[in-house]
Amino acid sequence: MLEATDITKAFGGVRAVDNVSVAVREGTIHALIGPNGAGKTTFFNAISGFTFPDHGRVTFRGTDVTRTLNWRRIVMGMGRTFQTPSVFPELTVDENIRLGVRAHAKQAFQLRAPRGAAAAAVDARVDELLGFVNLAAHRGRLVAELAHGSQRLCEIAMSLSTEPVLVLLDEPMAGLAEAETDRIMAVIRDLRQRLGLTVFFVEHNMRVVLALADRITVLDRGKLLAEGSPQEIARDDAVRRAYLGSEVLERV
Amino acid sequence: MKVRRDLVLFVAIVVLFACGPLISPLVHIDLSILSEVLVTTLAVLSVNLLLGYTGLPAFGNAAYFGLGAYGAALTVTYLHVDFVTAVLAGAVAAVAGALLLGPFLLRRRGIYFGLLSIAFGQVFYFIAYRYTDVTGGEDGMNFPRPPFGPGIAQVSINQVQFYYISLVVFVVAMIAFRAVVRSPFGRTLIAIRQNEARVRYLGLDTDRFIFVALLISALMAGVSGALFGLLINFAYPLELDWHQSGNFVLMMILGGAGTIWGSLIGALIYVIGKDIISTITPLWQIFLGALFVACVLGFPRGIVGSISALRRIASDDPEDAASNEAFDVSAPIEVGRGV
Repeated sequence: MLEATDITKAFGGVRAVDNVSVAVREGTIHALIGPNGAGKTTFFNAISGFTFPDHGRVTFRGTDVTRTLNWRRIVMGMGRTFQTPSVFPELTVDENIRLGVRAHAKQAFQLRAPRGAAAAAVDARVDELLGFVNLAAHRGRLVAELAHGSQRLCEIAMSLSTEPVLVLLDEPMAGLAEAETDRIMAVIRDLRQRLGLTVFFVEHNMRVVLALADRITVLDRGKLLAEGSPQEIARDDAVRRAYLGSEVLERV
Repeated sequence: MKVRRDLVLFVAIVVLFACGPLISPLVHIDLSILSEVLVTTLAVLSVNLLLGYTGLPAFGNAAYFGLGAYGAALTVTYLHVDFVTAVLAGAVAAVAGALLLGPFLLRRRGIYFGLLSIAFGQVFYFIAYRYTDVTGGEDGMNFPRPPFGPGIAQVSINQVQFYYISLVVFVVAMIAFRAVVRSPFGRTLIAIRQNEARVRYLGLDTDRFIFVALLISALMAGVSGALFGLLINFAYPLELDWHQSGNFVLMMILGGAGTIWGSLIGALIYVIGKDIISTITPLWQIFLGALFVACVLGFPRGIVGSISALRRIASDDPEDAASNEAFDVSAPIEVGRGV
């Protein structure tokens, strides 16, 4: 689905990501973990086109997208969320999602609001996405007024509005309480089970990673430290030393 | 509900302006000043589309305004065209200017967009200033007001008729502007202001949206400039100057960034305020400056923005909340756009 080969990205003299290769297979939930400053978000930015890598190659569904503009990657079937929910705070939940649905339906450029079947199709899709993330009751509220977890769900729904096949989630649980974390975990599971999507996510919370991921990639100080199944990662001594507290892994 | 309320307000304001020739002697304001209010509103709307709605610092819109004025002046002077053609020539000149500058401005955001807009505006200013043989240089161009149209429509236009022409253009512009900002395209512009990176991550090429917004903005500023030139029968370099751009921004902020009515209220206060205070003291700009400072400190959402915010709190109507487009000008504008 997504192959990143020998990705390097430096800021000044610091190599934030150094020669990292990751392959995300179709239909999997793949996690990217590592201590603070490991280069996870930089790597995410490089593969999603937020920035371009200095070296290396990114292919998505067999096409080289290393230098493809970010909005084109979305059209090609990528979706992405950010560490801090990237939403339109002064628009309602409905409008936030509607913008994405209209973008996908090629209506965003129109100077007249669509009517008839075109409008009904957009309405139906907005309802469907609101239902998927369980935000239908809040559709008329401004996103800025929502709780943090609901803002994240709104952002996930927005990233789904463009009908992606691969969803990149940057720390979807950051700053959330336990109950909200469980809600988002359920949504991520649904992304694969109900929608058949491939998920690649960055996460700090090991409970989440071990419960969700089929495959885990570990970064440390910009370099690839290990890659494997949750069990393999849990047994890896280098990973234990660099990042994971042994008490977490003993429970696996 | 809200649509009906907007419609009633709109009709009331148009009727009020339609009584302009009756009202103007009662309030001792010359009818040409009221024409100037209507014409200037278009230029303020043009800034509002870019700055108020899209979040781009449109600090050089006087370039399009001045191109409109010179477009009319040059075609009337050298080609002896009629009124309608002169206005169209002004609009074409302004849009051509935007087509020329657009590709350079498109990839700039934040303060760089603002500075580059000012710089390009000054280029046009110096061309008008230096190219004395054609433009009259610093002295500007005096030109007669041409008859309305060709052939049978070849009637001369007096002050009252000019006022009603301005009113018709104003009404059409307000309706068109409202339609644009409420369309999917307009909603996307508002989204770009709030979070451009997210718009790109919805698969939209924001540069394309900004380019079209720039062309629409230039069109409005060009029509405004052409009408202004025809109102005072004069085109001069200061119409292209960055001070003039600043005045439009000031009017927009006074009225309320991101609100349609704010542009009218801002133009009304500025133009009439200038007219009244300048008869009392030549230092009228000090008073307008003080008003501007008071507005930014006390009502950062502008007059219309503050009123609608108050109404929203009072009514607690979610429909009002969702449609409140005014934003706080003192809040920083997010620039991040990704690659």
